[in-house]
Amino acid sequence: MTAGNAEAASAASATLTVNGLSHWFIDPQSGSTVHALDDINLAIQPGEFITVVGPSGCGKTTLLKILAGFLKPLAGEARVHGSLITKPGRDRGVVFQELAILPWRTVRRNIGHGLEIQKVPKDVRAKKVAELTDLVGLRGFEDHYPHQLSGGMKQRVAVARTWASDPEIILMDEPFAAVDAMTRQTLQEELIRLTVETKKTVFFITHSVEEAVFLGDRVIALAARPGRVKASVQVPVPREGRTWETMTHDPSMAACVEEVLGLVRGEHEATLASESHANADAEQAQET
Amino acid sequence: MTVTVSSSGSAAQSDIERQLVRDRGKEDRRGRIVGSLLAVAPFVMVVVIWWAIYTIFDPVPTKLVAPSKVVDAFFELIREGTLPAYITQSLGRLSIGVIIAIGVGVPLGWLLGLDKDVASSVEPMLRFFNAISGIAWLPLAIAWFGFTDRTITAVIIYTMIFPVIFNTMIGVRTVPTVLRDASRSLGSGWFRVIKDVYIPGSFPSVMTGLRLGIGFGWRALIAGEFIVGGGGLGFLIFNSRTAGLTERVMLGMIVLGAVWLLIDRLILRPIEEFTAARWGMVRL
Amino acid sequence: MTAIPMPVLRTSPWSKVKKYALPIIPFFLLIGVWVSVIAIADPAIGILPRPLKVLQVPFQEDEYWPNVTASLGRLFIGFLVAAVTGVLAGIVAGLSRKFADFIGPLVTAMNAISGIAWIPLAIAWFGIGRGMVVFIVWNGAFFLIFANTVLGVRMVPEVLDRSLQTLGASRLHILRNVTFPGALPHVMSGLRSGLGFGWRAVIAAELVGATSGLGQWIFIAQEFARADIIVAGALTIGVIGLIMDRGLLAPLERRTIERWGLVESSA
Ligand SMILES: Nc1ncnc2c1ncn2[C@@H]1O[C@H](COP(=O)(O)OP(=O)(O)O)[C@@H](O)[C@H]1O
Ligand SMILES: [Mg+2]
Repeated sequence: MTAGNAEAASAASATLTVNGLSHWFIDPQSGSTVHALDDINLAIQPGEFITVVGPSGCGKTTLLKILAGFLKPLAGEARVHGSLITKPGRDRGVVFQELAILPWRTVRRNIGHGLEIQKVPKDVRAKKVAELTDLVGLRGFEDHYPHQLSGGMKQRVAVARTWASDPEIILMDEPFAAVDAMTRQTLQEELIRLTVETKKTVFFITHSVEEAVFLGDRVIALAARPGRVKASVQVPVPREGRTWETMTHDPSMAACVEEVLGLVRGEHEATLASESHANADAEQAQET
Repeated sequence: MTVTVSSSGSAAQSDIERQLVRDRGKEDRRGRIVGSLLAVAPFVMVVVIWWAIYTIFDPVPTKLVAPSKVVDAFFELIREGTLPAYITQSLGRLSIGVIIAIGVGVPLGWLLGLDKDVASSVEPMLRFFNAISGIAWLPLAIAWFGFTDRTITAVIIYTMIFPVIFNTMIGVRTVPTVLRDASRSLGSGWFRVIKDVYIPGSFPSVMTGLRLGIGFGWRALIAGEFIVGGGGLGFLIFNSRTAGLTERVMLGMIVLGAVWLLIDRLILRPIEEFTAARWGMVRL
Repeated sequence: MTAIPMPVLRTSPWSKVKKYALPIIPFFLLIGVWVSVIAIADPAIGILPRPLKVLQVPFQEDEYWPNVTASLGRLFIGFLVAAVTGVLAGIVAGLSRKFADFIGPLVTAMNAISGIAWIPLAIAWFGIGRGMVVFIVWNGAFFLIFANTVLGVRMVPEVLDRSLQTLGASRLHILRNVTFPGALPHVMSGLRSGLGFGWRAVIAAELVGATSGLGQWIFIAQEFARADIIVAGALTIGVIGLIMDRGLLAPLERRTIERWGLVESSA
């Protein structure tokens, strides 16, 4: 199926729409122009969990930065409910590749940061923070500083912080790339549970095909240099109750992984073929 | 191979993480006493060498005196009340420098760190004046303010302010932009971003600058007190030399070092331990 | 595929102008204020000299160059001795972890009272003049260089050392090929800050304990109400300091760091 037509048909009801988006950078070393994104068209429906997969350097982070409002595209546009994205907003929470939790705030104060910014009264804030701390399994660590936590725990703080301000849309940039394989699977399952419960619209970037298929309602495969949408693949199994156990025993999921892998592999043979195997998880962690 | 992590498995893993994190906090406390005993050892060695040189070479009292004479001088000056008075005087002058260097240097450093245009405009001039040591301005300060406290204060401020400005600036610049972005996407305006991200983020660097600045300022103070006089530890050292009281010169030097050590241990380190160390941001 | 034309990306010409114009503005402002103060208040020459008078000092004052060379000569000798003794002692001390730990607190304390505080005692030991200034320079630079060298030697990973030992390398071979190159970046930054410290120490020592040199010259100038000499001297001190640091040692430091492929920032 061609990505463009499907996207256009559903654009009217969409939460997030991207039309003819292109972006270029000047390479600081050589001074030459890098074509990062080329004519991207997307429509993301309310409550949909979109995963975007592609080799490193294909423009995934650039696309996310544009959606978040940190970067203005040089051509085309991105809209939330029809209004143009020009700056960051509370309606779009971001979980960054680099964690980006504040080292000088305790777990409690990091999770409550967004609420503090919104001037939510102290008692309401405390209740909400306690709820989320429980939800991500960090009870007992409220007064720890980030450097006292493991990588997986830090990532939970980052996720909880974003959920606490209750944004409609959540943008996530390879959030689990830097944690070990075991922890990653746990976090992925927790994320499924959390998003199903809270019905968020999620835009999730990864360079692991398995992760993309496991988490998403729909997987967008990006091609590199310039970054463009190669295909959009619907995941055949509903997200409710997905675990790695069911995933590995479900032939339709395996077929879906194969399909996406084929799309991405054609694009970037050498790198991705090795990366997308579950055993190579540890290597992925380094490649951030 | 398939790795299967059920939800009960995930709970077990969290427990292990918890235990590991708690263990990290239970570090040794016993090593401290041994450590502080060892820290005194090299000083004992120096005193022994000093005493040996003194007995072997038997120098004239203007060049070197016995360690015991310095101890005598210490009690004598305490009894006279001059030593406490001089220490207070020097610390008072230093404090004025610290207050002004922080009050002016830190905001200026923030401005330079946050605004590229201001930085590229003002930084070269600041670097140029930083290259001229404060002590080199001492003669001009005397011409302007005479042999007064204002001369000393002016030189201390000049000496202290540059390391504070530059380190604050570097601190702001090294705050990762992703922290700013994260804060903005949570809904922060620029004021909150500065308050929540840049001010705490630059704090460890501000402390580094302050530590450097106080170190430089402490030396400038001594030089100022040599020349301008009017009390203080520098005056004690310089004046005692002119009077041929070597034990007081050496006492003054030792007190200088000791006071510096006390400033470090009682003020600077606790602040750092309470902030940067707690945040895991201590740098080498 | 796409039909979107590629935009032409380049930096605006305004940014080039800004790059060169912005740094000059504050200097012009400063000179502007200076000239206006003179025009309005007409202060005595002992308080504030005319900019032109200051510029003329190097050409019209016979004592200028001899004083510059006197100060530089003292710095050179003192720094050279400090560099040789500091690096050698640092390597020896750094090779033994126990010894380095043992003298650590002493070095910290000596650093805290190094340089200027020694001036009176140095006058008693060496009298007024060159010997005393050289001693102060040595004293100011030595502990910095020493401490940095020890740090550098200690930071060389022991794994390297061990792996070579298993290959049968001699102690000297390891010292020459592993320890010293590994410590070099730290040694260089120690030398760099040591020179800066030494230069400050020269001026301070000359202010009170010499009969010649830039420090002494500007101090005397104050007694003769010659602020033009004071300002010219202070500016000279700054320019020499900048040339030594930015022109000589910073590039050297950068080169060693780059050559050994170590990433480190020099603030
Ligand atoms: N600020 C920038 N300046 C110059 N080039 C950039 C910048 N950001 C990204 N790029 C380039 O754009 C391309 C896409 O980058 P990015 O979006 O980070 O890729 P991904 O997140 O998929 O790995 C890469 O080739 C990268 O080098
Ligand atoms: Mg990326």
